[in-house]
Amino acid sequence: MDQMAIEKDEGYGSSIPHSQGNRGCILVVTSQAHPAQHVMDYVISVADRLGSKIIMASVNPRPLLRENSFLSRTVRVAVSPEADIFRAKAQGRGIAYECIAESGKIDKVISRLCHIVKRVEFVVIDQGIRMEEVAAGSPVPVFSVAGGTQDSAWKTRGHQIRTLFHGETTMKAATRKTYLMKTLIFGAITAALYGAVFAYQDAIMHYWTKGGIYCLLPVATVFVFSYAHGSFTGNFWSALGIEGSKASSSKQKEKQVSTTEKATKRPDTRPRVQANA
Amino acid sequence: MHGPITEAIQFIDLNLSSAIFLIIVGFIGGLVSGFIGSGGAFVLTPGMMSLGVPGTVAVASNMCHKFPKALVGSIKRYRYGQVDIKLGLIMGLFAEVGVQVGIQVQKWILDKWGDAGSNLYVSVAFVAVLVIVGSFVMRDAIKIKKMGGESTVKPRIAARLQKIELWPMMTFKRANLRISIWFLIPVALATGMLAATIAVGGFIGVPGLMYIIGATSIVASATELVIAFVMGLGGTLIWAFYGMVDIRLTLLILGGSLFGVQLGAIGTTYVKDYMIKYVMATIMLIVAVSRFLAMPKYLNQLSLTSFADGQVSLMTQASFYIMCFALLVGAMIILVSTFKARAAEMALEKAQMQSA
Repeated sequence: MDQMAIEKDEGYGSSIPHSQGNRGCILVVTSQAHPAQHVMDYVISVADRLGSKIIMASVNPRPLLRENSFLSRTVRVAVSPEADIFRAKAQGRGIAYECIAESGKIDKVISRLCHIVKRVEFVVIDQGIRMEEVAAGSPVPVFSVAGGTQDSAWKTRGHQIRTLFHGETTMKAATRKTYLMKTLIFGAITAALYGAVFAYQDAIMHYWTKGGIYCLLPVATVFVFSYAHGSFTGNFWSALGIEGSKASSSKQKEKQVSTTEKATKRPDTRPRVQANA
Repeated sequence: MHGPITEAIQFIDLNLSSAIFLIIVGFIGGLVSGFIGSGGAFVLTPGMMSLGVPGTVAVASNMCHKFPKALVGSIKRYRYGQVDIKLGLIMGLFAEVGVQVGIQVQKWILDKWGDAGSNLYVSVAFVAVLVIVGSFVMRDAIKIKKMGGESTVKPRIAARLQKIELWPMMTFKRANLRISIWFLIPVALATGMLAATIAVGGFIGVPGLMYIIGATSIVASATELVIAFVMGLGGTLIWAFYGMVDIRLTLLILGGSLFGVQLGAIGTTYVKDYMIKYVMATIMLIVAVSRFLAMPKYLNQLSLTSFADGQVSLMTQASFYIMCFALLVGAMIILVSTFKARAAEMALEKAQMQSA
């Protein structure tokens, strides 16, 4: 998986981004066909101001999935002429733009590209990519662009869905399928565990109620069950489409950020000896 | 020491109907626990006893299912960014001390006034705590609802306590508060003592975290799950040491409660903050009525009242059914409010997609 393949795409994607003279580059990383609206707008305005080139990397983080999977199609669409929203926007402002398809772990892709292209000033990640999973592996600063109204985000998402799919599969359906698979796997494990306990209940009751050091047996048992059954139930609700509200979690984050009274550690003001050798 | 106790205990034979009963009660209990942090387990002990399970085995098996349920619930809510692990672990450790203190108090009462005295103490503690704390929480929930469902003001006591710089001060990032450990300890001890007395420490723990420590109701109820995990693990090890845990009962309850606890945790992301207070207060006040009806039995045994036997048995039965009713009402409010909020959010999403 770590072996990253750079796909070539008839004139649109290129195996290695060409650095044009000494101009700096802004690397934009997304796992979609193109970044969210507010990310594109931000990157274009910064690139325009700095006179930088934009390199857009559409990354398939799971290259081992089947050829026609959702993610591989996303990447293919990203480097195809149809998905030229970002390109059109950039070229409309006279900004040099290049789009490449990558696969592998996002942090490694960033690290690799930074070493190949050399003139990457900073990286901008799209929404949906977590800062913590990329920041450590990047030799240049990484930024995520907060904001973007819910409306514009939805518009982008809507556009992506229209652009990417042939009508039959959506991201939701693909994720649900994964949840369903996990539900079946963990469900089978849970059923087997319950079956084993009740099939051998006499022996189990004998040892599990012995007390003393045997007290670890019931505790270990419930830990095992809580892992298997907990995973089963969690995936079960997700497979049914019953998941936590995304709107509320983003609202909570906003609330946290906007709180003026932040609980912070008291600064250490104790006097210290300044000893310089 | 554990040998003779185990030999004296009779473990029941399970049939299909009792297994289904335990799974359903487990699910409802889990749903409430996942939502308000605790409070789902108090029906299980009498529920198991109604199937013929000896009291100690019922308590031990209930305790053994509580901590994995709390673990799964707290992991789920941690993913939603609602859990302050540091706060939960510190409170959990002191709550464990509170449990031991509570057990000693119970023992002392048992030695002095016998079984009936101990039961009366439990019921009085139940009614007093539930009525006082429950009505306070309910009043607050109604006030916030009238204000439009958003409370931006920190409780007065919490705000004052947080200003007192008493070493050692502790900072809790997720709960977004900084407070002296000396104010955490009494809340944790009271939580543990109540857990040892009525098996639901959260009825003190969650309001304590909200009104005395100053956490939001979402963070308080989520962090209570960590406290319940720590207390439950300690309690289970003690009960299992004496061989009291019927693992079959535990696993059947767990079978239902892990479905419930996940759904309850999901529910917290849809509803407004005051709903947690509202559900908690509703359950507390109905359970207070239930325990009030259980008191005449023990008062009669102590010769303090002279109710007729028929009346006493009627009240005892009514007490159990009202307790079940409390849990059902709580579960219904959670399900209805969650699915209503979810439907509204989905309708909004659909409208946005169409307009895009």
